[in-house]
Amino acid sequence: MSYLIFSLSLLLVYVALTQLLHVQFGMLGIPNFGIVGFWGLGMYGVGVFNVQYSVPFLLSLILTGVLITLVAFVLGRLTLRLNGQDMVCATLAFSAITSLLVISEKWLTNGVVGLGTIKYPFDFGKATEFSYMMLLVLVVAGFQYVIQQLHRSDLGRLMFAIRDNEELASSLGKNAYGTKLQLFVVTSVLMGLLGGLSAPLNQFLTPNMLVPGVTFTVWIALILGGKENRLGAMLGVVVTFGLFDILIETYLPVPAEHAMLVPNFKLFLYGAVLIGVLLYRPQGMLAQGASGSDARRVRPL
Amino acid sequence: MKLTVKNLVKSYHQRPVLNLASATFGTYSVEGLIGPNGAGKSTLMGLLTRRIGATTGTINFEVSGKNHDLCEKQSFEVAQLGLIKTNQRIQNFESLTIRESLRLAATPAENESLVSWFKKPAADAATSAEDIESRVDHYLDKFTFADPDGYAKSAGEKKLLDILRCLIFKPRMLLMDEPTAGLPEDVTRQVMDEIAEQSRNNKMRIVVVEHDLELIWSVCEYVHFLSDGEMLFQGTPDEVKSNHFVAEKYLGVS
Repeated sequence: MSYLIFSLSLLLVYVALTQLLHVQFGMLGIPNFGIVGFWGLGMYGVGVFNVQYSVPFLLSLILTGVLITLVAFVLGRLTLRLNGQDMVCATLAFSAITSLLVISEKWLTNGVVGLGTIKYPFDFGKATEFSYMMLLVLVVAGFQYVIQQLHRSDLGRLMFAIRDNEELASSLGKNAYGTKLQLFVVTSVLMGLLGGLSAPLNQFLTPNMLVPGVTFTVWIALILGGKENRLGAMLGVVVTFGLFDILIETYLPVPAEHAMLVPNFKLFLYGAVLIGVLLYRPQGMLAQGASGSDARRVRPL
Repeated sequence: MKLTVKNLVKSYHQRPVLNLASATFGTYSVEGLIGPNGAGKSTLMGLLTRRIGATTGTINFEVSGKNHDLCEKQSFEVAQLGLIKTNQRIQNFESLTIRESLRLAATPAENESLVSWFKKPAADAATSAEDIESRVDHYLDKFTFADPDGYAKSAGEKKLLDILRCLIFKPRMLLMDEPTAGLPEDVTRQVMDEIAEQSRNNKMRIVVVEHDLELIWSVCEYVHFLSDGEMLFQGTPDEVKSNHFVAEKYLGVS
């Protein structure tokens, strides 16, 4: 039971990360491949403050948030004017630097030995883990509410316009770069804070949690679900992480001698499904507007 | 309202493509800018709206007695001062419908900021939704699209939408880079009538780049002639027509 709660909590974290990528990439067109960098910084930030310096959890989260704001601002200033491919490389490099720093700065992070234990911020006895999961449900619901509002707002329309043609938007008096920087910082900091919230979930942090696979899982989920659809993030995570990491890895009766195959098989299936979707339904399972009633519709190909 | 250019130079790899000692736009309500292909007309328009950075020189935009040095500004700030341009090559927001595209252009920046989510802009600063809707309806009544709630499909629709986006923005000065290229003749006339009306009612100033000389002679009060990156001649349409420089370089009369 408690393992299921852990898995579902992690699933909620992934949903929230994918929701944020929906805002960054689906709406604004920023190809952020540094997700695990922000998430990892947040997780280790809270871990270091909480364990090494005995700062209370909530204060650790706030301090980490301030730190990541600076990091996101600098990274945004350096990369947001680049073209798409260069931005992908730069943000990938950022996340690689983050995980290398976690390994090398042993005085702070304990390196490969690992850092722990990070306790839950509250103690409700047996209900603690379940309550924490409910907290994550609230986070996801809150993000979903904001996304719904964003799609309907003037700001949301501006975001789609910037994604389509940044230069044209600027020529109509819109501060395209400023808008991108502002929203990139806000959403990246939220990715970091989700990392902070994941720290007590994992309790014990090791550098091998900060692998590019986290970034790719979020990206695959978003593309599968539908990058422009407001519900795409949820569906995408459920059919990738939910189906493979929870249902198949945990509940499918696989003979012990073949158990090693499952993670590899999972990646293989991710890839196959992704290629299928890109070939036959490039907008993702949920095309834009499929769940909405506004005038924005799927563009005829 | 005056847009004054001094010693404006734009070079690519040390090769100057534009070299203007001085020029002034905005004295008359509709002015023309003509010249052979490669004369630097589009480059000049790009420099004025800061889409292209100048190599050296100054661009001064005087609005109701206040001077603004445009070389210190980014393109969106130039637009916010009221100087915008329509595009020669088709530019569009592919995921916005025609109606939304017009709404976007009519909406002031304060309504779109992240801050506006928490603190509504002051009533006088923000343009009300009703006002924006009525302006959008005004243009969609006047100009016909196959489906105003759908996407601009043909090149002609996209070109017209580009011009309407600029008009609904209510600029102080509008630069038009080859407005007739890609537009049917009747729509061109409609656009030009609308522009003439706006320049009368809102005191909007217009500079038109065109190869269609009939249109230039019929709508412009003053014409600038650009050739090889330099302003060779400026004057009224009749003066330009009878100038031998222009005849030799452009009109093809011996």
